[in-house]
Amino acid sequence: MATIRTRSRIRELLLRLSAYLAILVALILTLFPVYWIAANSFKFDIDIFAVPPEWVPRNPTLKHYDEAFVQRPFLRYALNSFLVAVGTTAISVTFGTMAGYALARFSYPWQWRKQISFWILSTRMMPPIVSIIPLYLFFNYFDMLNTKSALVIAYTAFNLPFATWMMKSYFQDLPVELEEAAIVDGDTRWGAFLHVALPLARPGLAATAIFCLIISWNEFLLSLVITLTEQSQTLPIGIAGRVTQYSTYWGEISAAGFMACVPIVIFAFIVQKHLVRGLSLGAVKG
Amino acid sequence: MLKSDKGTMPKSLRPGGGLEHWTERHLRYLMLAPTVLILLALTIFPSVYMFYAAVHRISPNPDLPWEFVGIGNFARLLTDAQFHVALRNTAVFTIAAVTLEFLLGLGLALLLDRFIRRLGFLKTMLMIPMMLPPIAVAITWKLIYEPQFGVLNEIMFLLGLPVQAWAGDVNLAMFSIIVADVWQWTPFIFLLMLAGLASLPVEPYEAAALDGASSWRQFWDLTLPFLKPVIAIALLLRVMDALRLFDLVFILTGGGPADRTKVLSLYIYQVAYRFADPGYAAAMSLFVLFVTIVLSTWFMKRMRLAE
Repeated sequence: MATIRTRSRIRELLLRLSAYLAILVALILTLFPVYWIAANSFKFDIDIFAVPPEWVPRNPTLKHYDEAFVQRPFLRYALNSFLVAVGTTAISVTFGTMAGYALARFSYPWQWRKQISFWILSTRMMPPIVSIIPLYLFFNYFDMLNTKSALVIAYTAFNLPFATWMMKSYFQDLPVELEEAAIVDGDTRWGAFLHVALPLARPGLAATAIFCLIISWNEFLLSLVITLTEQSQTLPIGIAGRVTQYSTYWGEISAAGFMACVPIVIFAFIVQKHLVRGLSLGAVKG
Repeated sequence: MLKSDKGTMPKSLRPGGGLEHWTERHLRYLMLAPTVLILLALTIFPSVYMFYAAVHRISPNPDLPWEFVGIGNFARLLTDAQFHVALRNTAVFTIAAVTLEFLLGLGLALLLDRFIRRLGFLKTMLMIPMMLPPIAVAITWKLIYEPQFGVLNEIMFLLGLPVQAWAGDVNLAMFSIIVADVWQWTPFIFLLMLAGLASLPVEPYEAAALDGASSWRQFWDLTLPFLKPVIAIALLLRVMDALRLFDLVFILTGGGPADRTKVLSLYIYQVAYRFADPGYAAAMSLFVLFVTIVLSTWFMKRMRLAE
């Protein structure tokens, strides 16, 4: 008896040790690439090319930040990214919240509720490459290529369904009774939504908005096709433009790439509680 | 129950007549209408337009008329060797990347769920890769893979292994893309599996423990079946994402070497813009759309299961 218990305890201990080891390895593998791009953005070119590599920058410099954000238009690209992300988010969250509420609370004839819900979800599933040709021809026809509004329109196509499904899932979690009480007290149906449900859904609303910002900020393919000018291009396109067939401007793209990551990491920490729901379109409640 | 909200608003409480009354009565449609209209415009229009484009030969010169070619563009799908290469590459990438991510993510989640319940700050650190802009991820891995001064070859050298060209090597290019994708998206599976594990009921496990079931049996008979809805959602979302892979190959390999990493999205992009043949690209996009619809229909059936 005693040996069996000892043996199982040793097994338990080994498993526990392997769990700690696994998480340590996972952390190193996860964080090293992020550290590496940051470290290289602070090195002089000669140190970036050093063999063996300089694990920690010995002569840290802001040279590449100056190159990217002062001499080259990366600040402009970042501003474009920001404006497009904010515009898309404002539209998507406003209409998505209303639609999400309607789908969570109201009944419709002929199973419309279910049908429309899934149709909206299916538009989110559409790969961007599929809509890119018609969108390109459409924007070309209306002379809207190289504009930020074209990007806002294109990004809304996949952010709006996302916002609708997220908000639907948050509203479904709220108790209906509070809205019913407000209506009994004389509020209108719209008033119950505005004054009761909406304030209660504020955390979900904030999370949805942050996810929309992240999705728009990260988008690449649509922007690559729709925009060609400095006035309209977003940060990812600016970065990709410095990776050419002949040479890659490592310092510059490291600096710009790292700067593109910083707001996202901050946002990730803000929405950490909502990550599961956000990434599964509201299907899994974390 | 507000779900059938017909009875919730006594007539006597309704604000008096006019526009306000009308708005209130049709609120369920008015709140839904903007989203439905915007999405109709942004998805139905492109889809219909794409069918129209797909049956035409479109000249890069906007002044020339479109030439009707019927199913010509679709027939080309059958004979275009490049398309078949792209199809195969996409399939290889999707299957390999999603399988690896699933096994790693589930394994890590099982290990940690058992021993380290409160991850807190650490968990968010592990989540960072999947939030990052794919372009930033792509240039980061480009820097790591760089054959001359890249850090990966330095590690190979320190381990006494032969250095490689990685993304530039015919045999390793796809592998390099897969590794970068696994780095970015394993956290996603891990996170969803942790959420699934946290919501497992306790009683069946207590009963199984009383019956003397081994932890392996418990995993097969209890954990996996309970996790099934979450697994289905996680896998499908990953598969849909993997099918649209673009950013990583665009930066890391540009589809090369020798077309080894040319995936569907990249090939369609090249056909539409570099070879200026939007009609044929539209036909290929419709094929991708078809595959996506088949998969997402299956996915949505699963969603209903999870609801």
